[in-house]
Amino acid sequence: MYLLLVGVPVLGLLGILEAGRSIAAPLSIGGEWALESTPTADCANPPGSLQRQLAWSVSQSGNQALITLHDGYGTTLQATIDGATFTAKSPVASITATIAGKLDQRTLEGKVTLLGCAPVAFHAVRQAPRKRGA
Amino acid sequence: MLDLFQLVLQIAVILVAARIVGFLFQKINQPQVMGEMVAGILLGPSLLGWLAPGVSAALFPPASLSYLNALSQVGLVVFMFVVGLALNPSELHGYGHAAVLTSHVSIVAPFCLGGLTALYLYPRLSDDGVTFTGFALFMGAAMSITAFPVLARILSERGLVRSRMGTLAIACAAVDDVTGWCILAYIVVLVRVTHAARPAWVTIAGSIAYVLIMLFVVRRILPAFERAFRKRDRLTDNLVATIVVLVLASALATEWLGIHLLFGAFLMGAIMPKTPEFTRYLLHKFESVTVVLLLPLFFAYTGLRTRIGVGGGRAIWFYSAIVIVVAITGKLGGSMFAARLAGMPWREAASLGILMNTRGLMELVILNIGLDIGVISPAMFSIMVLMALVTTFMTTPLLEWVYPTRLLRAQVDEIHKNVA
Repeated sequence: MYLLLVGVPVLGLLGILEAGRSIAAPLSIGGEWALESTPTADCANPPGSLQRQLAWSVSQSGNQALITLHDGYGTTLQATIDGATFTAKSPVASITATIAGKLDQRTLEGKVTLLGCAPVAFHAVRQAPRKRGA
Repeated sequence: MLDLFQLVLQIAVILVAARIVGFLFQKINQPQVMGEMVAGILLGPSLLGWLAPGVSAALFPPASLSYLNALSQVGLVVFMFVVGLALNPSELHGYGHAAVLTSHVSIVAPFCLGGLTALYLYPRLSDDGVTFTGFALFMGAAMSITAFPVLARILSERGLVRSRMGTLAIACAAVDDVTGWCILAYIVVLVRVTHAARPAWVTIAGSIAYVLIMLFVVRRILPAFERAFRKRDRLTDNLVATIVVLVLASALATEWLGIHLLFGAFLMGAIMPKTPEFTRYLLHKFESVTVVLLLPLFFAYTGLRTRIGVGGGRAIWFYSAIVIVVAITGKLGGSMFAARLAGMPWREAASLGILMNTRGLMELVILNIGLDIGVISPAMFSIMVLMALVTTFMTTPLLEWVYPTRLLRAQVDEIHKNVA
């Protein structure tokens, strides 16, 4: 009885772990990011804090993420990851980007559009992935 | 920079909330600790941050939380020592087939179902920074944990400690606790080794050496404390301080090895001498300040990281329902089924399953470790916290329904008559 109730499920668990190896999860973008962008002059009413924004942090759960801009106001954007495409929206800004690079050298390449401004190209580099083992 | 006024204000607000909600929960026959856990959640973004974001941001600004976290971690180190102290290996002997089968099935069944659920949740709530193996093993470990301290308190409050079902539940929970922590230690090593600069063999060889030293060297020194206690019926402040230093040293050793500092504190408690008077004395010394002051801080810190129902839409509630159903089926169902097969009557087997399903704050401890090492995402953390609250909350009313107090008292009275 012991073998049936304990041994068989343990074998089943080993099977689950083996089967799960082939499952792909969304690309990881969680952590701290530093941005390089060119501030645009084509802006009717420039939201200065965002224009100067050079860093943000991302809290990720699956293909959903929450971006917090380090702008002193804690401005947040809801983001979605679809394959290697990353889109984020809020009433004051929107971002579309492509995720690239290996896990430890992840980058974002895309455009950020601030309210009332023309889109600005940016390149972002992940400074530190979501804390693991610290 | 440390804002002392803000930190003291935070502690005061947390303690008041914990005592009030704890009191209210006691009024509905729930353990005080259940109310304190809920108080922590209420102070976080799930309620206060949602209803009054300005108040929440002023009271708990993100920059101030590191101090709250540090205090709560110190509290957890002492608490894990207390949990280890209350664990008596002799309780595991003498329960024979039923205890072995029930305890092992109560781990394996939820573990397997947790792994199975991971197949569905991994692509939805995780990312490629976490391996499936790490995610699935963590899900399994989190599903199979039993809150030994809460379970012991519920049994004690209902006068069930000496009943057959009560003693079996304590024995099974003790086995579950030790096994759960061993599995979790393995997961932490697994996750940390792949991201740490330290070679894996240092962690593995160091952990083995640490356990051997604790069991065969430190354990032989510890009875000296008990002898000193027997001479005066108390320990001097210097000896109590020495025990604290030993707990901290053990915690630091496991942290340095890459396991986690809580394992060291737990193991130090587990190898302390177990004579009832000595254990009671140490529990009294360490428990009050931990339970009254430091644990509510941990609950609040957990609550501030939990965003129940915030963001994620309907899917999050659907995932939560799946996790809760799987957790209850695996733990309650698995334990009940195994106990019944081992010869327990249905009513007792069901009660045992209900008790084993109590996850309480041990689950919160494990979930915080999982979030810290990045093996679960913030959404998964919130879902599992909700599961811990639901499974802990349901224990008392379900137990009363399945095994009413009047029946229990009759059984305990009969045992006393037979003993007399």
